Amino acid sequence: MELIKKIVTWSRIKSPWIIHFNTGACNACDIEVIAALTPRYDVERFGVLLKGTPRHADVLVCSGPVTRQIKDRLVRIYEQMAEPKFVVATGTCACSGGVFNGCYCVEGGIDSVIPVSAYIPGCPVRPEAIIDGVVKLLGSLDGDPAPQGAVPAPDAAEPVKQGTAV
Amino acid sequence: MTALIGILVFPGVFFLSLFGLVCEFVDRKLHARLQHRVGPPWFQPLADFIKLVSKETIIPEEADRTMFRLMPALAVAAAAAAALYIPMWSAKALFSFSGDVIVVIYLLTIPTLTFFLGGWSSTSLYAMIGSVRCLTQLFAYEVPLFMGVLAPFMLASTWNFSELAEFYRAHPGYMIFNVIGFAVSLVALMGKLEKVPFDIPEAETEIVAGSFTEYSGRYLALFRMAVDIEMVVGASLLAAVFLPFGLGLPAGVAFALYVIKVLFVVVLLSILRTLFARLRIDQMVDFCWKYLAPASLVQLLINLAVKGALLS
Repeated sequence: MELIKKIVTWSRIKSPWIIHFNTGACNACDIEVIAALTPRYDVERFGVLLKGTPRHADVLVCSGPVTRQIKDRLVRIYEQMAEPKFVVATGTCACSGGVFNGCYCVEGGIDSVIPVSAYIPGCPVRPEAIIDGVVKLLGSLDGDPAPQGAVPAPDAAEPVKQGTAV
Repeated sequence: MTALIGILVFPGVFFLSLFGLVCEFVDRKLHARLQHRVGPPWFQPLADFIKLVSKETIIPEEADRTMFRLMPALAVAAAAAAALYIPMWSAKALFSFSGDVIVVIYLLTIPTLTFFLGGWSSTSLYAMIGSVRCLTQLFAYEVPLFMGVLAPFMLASTWNFSELAEFYRAHPGYMIFNVIGFAVSLVALMGKLEKVPFDIPEAETEIVAGSFTEYSGRYLALFRMAVDIEMVVGASLLAAVFLPFGLGLPAGVAFALYVIKVLFVVVLLSILRTLFARLRIDQMVDFCWKYLAPASLVQLLINLAVKGALLS
């Protein structure tokens, strides 16, 4: 029984399928999320696949403050996902509402509507930071302390030298 | 008892599942390497499978529960049953009778049908569109696949895998005449497996995930396994029909050769899927009827001519 539990946990850590949802972001974080999925960052190394339907996904990657209009949709998509499910708030706005906090049309951060497992600050977040956040979230499944406020590792947050050809 | 082991362990469901996971890994890794990526680790398909099996399974309220739950199992069963008639370690398969190639091709059609029925009975709009595209595509690639696969059999004047292998052992040079048929069947097989230029039924950028939109948990795992097994069986079919050499060798050597042949077909499939981008459904149907079907007709003509000129 213990062994089966271990194998299942292992498989969950090794195969996080994500779904990306824009809850009202300015599109900057979305572009960074897309960039993180390109061959350059190659998240399939960690088993990450982008899925179109919430039924297949394990991790809901949300970007942006929750507007009043998107709130019901966000809850619906969250409830369509199969257990066990995790939510990652990417970007400052998703973490806290950002500069839009208190705006008449804004509900607040993602955690004002649905439970959030990891926060990745940044405006916009770098792809490295997103990958680091997701990896930290999955590491927490293995018994590591909960990644509340998982901040990007110092090396990931450092700006990459500009102008280097890739 | 031997039959039971044959169905359940080797060359049945267990072996096919493992080999299917291996083929999925080879496919994904090669795809990644061709895109200049590192790609997934070797255990990735297994981890995906275990994760999906252990996840919650949701059945939509509107869905037809019986059909929704029956279809994934039926898909695996049909794909695995087809493998029992394909020769792997000798010229003779586990079960063999006159006309087994027809049965294999029809059994390979059933998974596509279950994708349609599963998607249709989940009553989601995206799933329905995907299902209908699935069937539309079936009518486009099925005829070229049939003609392409059956052409070598026509040359050998048989409908049986073992007799085909015997014929090509006696006349190894005749394999060269089937090159067009091999190309046609390879392309048609990509349509059957819904690989990238023909992944119109599950186009994730347009219709979410096609027929599988509402599937989650272990039913999705079974469907993915069915696709993997279908890939193995389809590749085995092409290997048995178009590369029927080496089946007279000792069983171990012949089996190793069989694995190499299947992996060769899988490598071809994944190179092709890296090269192309998705077509529209009308372009796909056009392509299949305008170019693929005539090409397979040409193959039939060549085989008829060869048969008349050289074998009579």
